[in-house]
Amino acid sequence: MVLLKNIHPPTEGVRHEQAATTAVLDGQRLGCGTLYVAETRLSWFDGSGLGFSLEYPSIGLHAISRDVSAYPQEHLYVMVNGKLSGENEAEMAEKGAGDDGNDSGGSSDGDDDDDEGMITEIRFVPTDKTSLESMFSAMCECQALHPDPDDEDSDNDFEGEEYDVEEAGSEHGHADIPTFYTCDEGLSALTQEGQATLERLEGMLAQSVSQQYHMAGVRTEETKAEFEEGMEVDAAAMEAGQFEDADVEH
Amino acid sequence: MDPGDPGPCGDAAGSIRERTIAENSLVVLLQGLQGHVTTVELRDESTARGRVLSVDAFMNIRLEDVVFQDRRGRTVHLQQLFVTGRNVRYVHVPDRVDILQTVQNQLARIHRVRNFASHGGGRREFCRNAK
Repeated sequence: MVLLKNIHPPTEGVRHEQAATTAVLDGQRLGCGTLYVAETRLSWFDGSGLGFSLEYPSIGLHAISRDVSAYPQEHLYVMVNGKLSGENEAEMAEKGAGDDGNDSGGSSDGDDDDDEGMITEIRFVPTDKTSLESMFSAMCECQALHPDPDDEDSDNDFEGEEYDVEEAGSEHGHADIPTFYTCDEGLSALTQEGQATLERLEGMLAQSVSQQYHMAGVRTEETKAEFEEGMEVDAAAMEAGQFEDADVEH
Repeated sequence: MDPGDPGPCGDAAGSIRERTIAENSLVVLLQGLQGHVTTVELRDESTARGRVLSVDAFMNIRLEDVVFQDRRGRTVHLQQLFVTGRNVRYVHVPDRVDILQTVQNQLARIHRVRNFASHGGGRREFCRNAK
C-alpha cells in the first residue's frame, strides 16, 4: 500500500470536492473516499485519515474516460510523472522486490524532471458519473495556476505594463511615464476616490470644452471640496469668466 | 471560446501576462488551432489526436474527442484531455492551416483586446499622473 498517514484534507481553495470516489493507483484499488481538487494540490482521502496528495507540477495530464471497453467504469484519469514521492517512496522501496508489475526502486525523487519515463496512473472513479466534467474542469483551472517553473525556453518575466509606454508618452506629450490601464482593467483599479474623480472630470468635459481655458486657475486638489456637494454646484462654479482674474502662471 | 472569457483555459484574451507571453512566442500559432483536429505528441512518445478546445500561454492544451495512444501502443478514447505544456513535445499543424495567417489573426485578436480603449472605443484611459 502506498498511503500517506495523518494528512488532513485541504480547507482552502478547494475548487471541487467529490465524495464517494474510488481511487485506483497503478491498478491497485485503494477504496472509496473523497477527492479534493484544491488550488495548492490534488488529494484524496478515504475518510479514516489515509490518503495521498499530488502536486500539480507533477501531473502530466488528466482526462475524462468514458470508454468502457478500455476501462469498465467512467472515470477521471490522471497521469503523474514519476512515482509518488515521500513516505510512499520509502514504503515502495521496501516492498519493491516483492511487488508484481511495479517499477518501484528505479527512480529517486518523484518530482524530478528526468524520471526516466516512470509514471503513475491514477483513476478516480466517482459514483456520480455526471460529476466528471466538473472534476475535470476544476483540475484544468488548478493546473493552469502552476505553470512550469523550469521552462527555460521562454522569458516569462512579463510583469508590469502591457503598453509600449514610451510610444504612448510621446503621443500625449508626457514627461513622466505614467502607469496606463486598459479601459476594462483600469476601471476596476480605481479607488472610490479615483472613481469619484473620474466621474467629476467626465462631467466637466461633457459640459463644455471651451470653458477649459477659463479653468487655468483651478487645481484638482483644491476644488475637490467644492464638488463634493454635487454636480449642481459644479455647474454654477463653471460659469465662463469666473476665473478670468486668476493667475495663469504657476 | 468567447474572447472576453478570462478563464485560465482561455486563449488570447487571458491575463495580461498570458497575452504578453503569447504574443512573444509561437504559442500564438497553437492558440490559433482552436477548433482544429490535430495530433499532440507527448514527451513520453504517447500521442493524442483530437479537437483543440484551447491552448494557454503555458502551452497547456485541452482537447476533446481524443484518440490517445500510449507509448506501448494501446489506444483509448478520451472524452476530454488536458495535457500540461511541460509534457508536450510536438503539436502537429494541419496541412490546411495557413501558419502565417493564423499567427497574424491571433496577434490581431490580442491587439484588439489591448487597444480597445486607445482606438476610440470606450472611454479614454485615465492618466494617473494628471498635470
